[in-house]
Amino acid sequence: MRTQVPLLEIKNLHVQFKVFEGVLKVLNGVNIVIREKEKVGLVGETGCGKTTTIKSVLRILPSPQAKITGGQIFYRGRDILTMQPREIPGLRRGELSAIFQDPLASLNPVFTVGQQLGDILKHSMKHQGVKGISKKEIRSKAADLLRETGMPDPERILKTYPVQLSGGMRQRVCISEALRATVKLLLADEPTTNLDVTIQDQILRRLDDLVEERGTSILLISHSLGIVRDLTERVYIMYAGTIVETTRTRRLFENPLHPYTKALLKTIPKLTGKGLSEGIRGRIPNYLNPPQGCRFHPRCDSAMNICRKENPPGFSAGNDHVAACWLFRG
Amino acid sequence: MLKYIGLRLIHSLFVLFGLSILIFFIARIMPGDPARVALGPLATEEQVQKLREEMHLDKPFPVQYYFWLRSVLHGDLGKSLYTKRPIIKDLNEYLPATLELVFTSFLISLVFGQVSGVLSGYFKNTWFDGLSRLVAYIGVATPSFAVAIFLLLIFSHILGFIPAVGRISIIMKPPPRVTGFLILDGMIAGQFKVALNGLKHIILPAFSLAVAHIAQEGRVTRSSIVDNMQKDYVAAHIVHGIPTKSVIFKYLLKPSLIPTVSIMGLDFAFIIANAFLVELVFMWPGFARYAVTVMLNKDLNAIVAVVLIIGAVFAVVNLIVDIVVSFLDPRIRLQRRGG
Repeated sequence: MRTQVPLLEIKNLHVQFKVFEGVLKVLNGVNIVIREKEKVGLVGETGCGKTTTIKSVLRILPSPQAKITGGQIFYRGRDILTMQPREIPGLRRGELSAIFQDPLASLNPVFTVGQQLGDILKHSMKHQGVKGISKKEIRSKAADLLRETGMPDPERILKTYPVQLSGGMRQRVCISEALRATVKLLLADEPTTNLDVTIQDQILRRLDDLVEERGTSILLISHSLGIVRDLTERVYIMYAGTIVETTRTRRLFENPLHPYTKALLKTIPKLTGKGLSEGIRGRIPNYLNPPQGCRFHPRCDSAMNICRKENPPGFSAGNDHVAACWLFRG
Repeated sequence: MLKYIGLRLIHSLFVLFGLSILIFFIARIMPGDPARVALGPLATEEQVQKLREEMHLDKPFPVQYYFWLRSVLHGDLGKSLYTKRPIIKDLNEYLPATLELVFTSFLISLVFGQVSGVLSGYFKNTWFDGLSRLVAYIGVATPSFAVAIFLLLIFSHILGFIPAVGRISIIMKPPPRVTGFLILDGMIAGQFKVALNGLKHIILPAFSLAVAHIAQEGRVTRSSIVDNMQKDYVAAHIVHGIPTKSVIFKYLLKPSLIPTVSIMGLDFAFIIANAFLVELVFMWPGFARYAVTVMLNKDLNAIVAVVLIIGAVFAVVNLIVDIVVSFLDPRIRLQRRGG
């Protein structure tokens, strides 16, 4: 095991949302570690808190509704949550970046691709201390970035507005915005969910190549286990605001431990099977009144008495494999 | 774009033509004999009859309209029965004063409305937002002439540092006329004292006209800022390291201005309508007062001319608004290009 300080370390993160009906206890102790040049997946059902987790890291949780009620987020050993507000933009202009789910929504409709991408590059270069960059240089840098994502005719694309582009092209623009040369950690929130399957594949391969070339670490969020199996080395399984299992990606598919992971793996449709795959019975719990103890116990077939009372800590099953389930108390 | 502007101008011409027919007949159906009103109760029946014939009032309506349209196309709007002068001359004298007032108040409402809207949108649900909401409700609910009287009382009567009435102090000589806008002309002629004097005179009436629109436009901008602030692209801009100031005043303001600019075109008509009352309060020698006077005097040609001019100004302002909106919103521009 490598012993250096991890790039990102989320420790016991708790986040609550205040809504009209009361307080939603969304994140309930999330632990995630990402090392340098590592490709990590984060998998879970819709609404399990994946997006909330990365929004906490990026410090863009909606205020004042959302509140971080506990935990730390270390970036290179420094807690992002206690940083001075004026330090954050520097981090964003430098090493930390993100891609969001809906490429159309994450591009400003009334500015051209070139204006948005150029502005981002300008501030990022200024942050590196590059002075006196001409508009032309920025433009050609922007075109280069677009070309790297596999965008055809980047010079022309710079002059277009997002509405004029197809879904795949928009996501390529978003990837260009996020993958500046200095980026060391990319948080990708379901980057291809809204795209056609064929385009999805193209874009993910391209993204993977770029990440590999630059030695960027990536946290790939997805609800698709297939995507995660192809593109990541290590994976976290999230359920209702907690990490229930983490291990090397290959090991997870060979030997899943947590009942939720097992159920999740069964939901992958098989080409050879008959009919649709099984779903998981029940639904994700209500965050207003989450179940006592393990949040998965109402849907779990192997639930025991202790599961209804106490939240399980992570139990190590060796080899970097951790499952938060009382079955593995050992 | 040019083709679009051309089409819109032709479209406006048709609207104005329709408007002229409408107002022409309405003015003539109104009770009262214009010739009698013009000549006064002491004139004899023969004199009144003679004037009627001169004005073609004895002929059927369509014939009257034909005569009127013919002279309008030759650039003659006819004579005013009230001022006894060609209407063109009256317009030339009164219209710039009102346009100056209306544009100034338009500018004031633009600046104050946007600034208060952006700030209260960004600081949503804080004391500033609450205060600006309260002021906005009061502003919308108070008629502009009431605001005018109120401002007059405070600034001219009690504090006394702003002149109460007119466009310029009597002791001052107006600058040579170029645009007809006193402040502008003063600056063109290099007579800054005159320009400043004009500014002092215009500030109260312009502001009382603007209050309701500051309030309304501010609220519209606020709600679209609040709306757009939750959009993913704002989060994306922030995450990609664009400075907050630039996010608010560039990336957030531009899309949020679109609804505001659209209603500003309509607001312009309200400002002109309200100017009727405000000009009265401040004894502003403007077009609105002229319009009221000619209507009360059943001054047929002048009424039609007044309505047409307001219609034309309104059409042009709304054309400008549409052009500005299409510059702000590429989606509209692209749609148009596509057919």
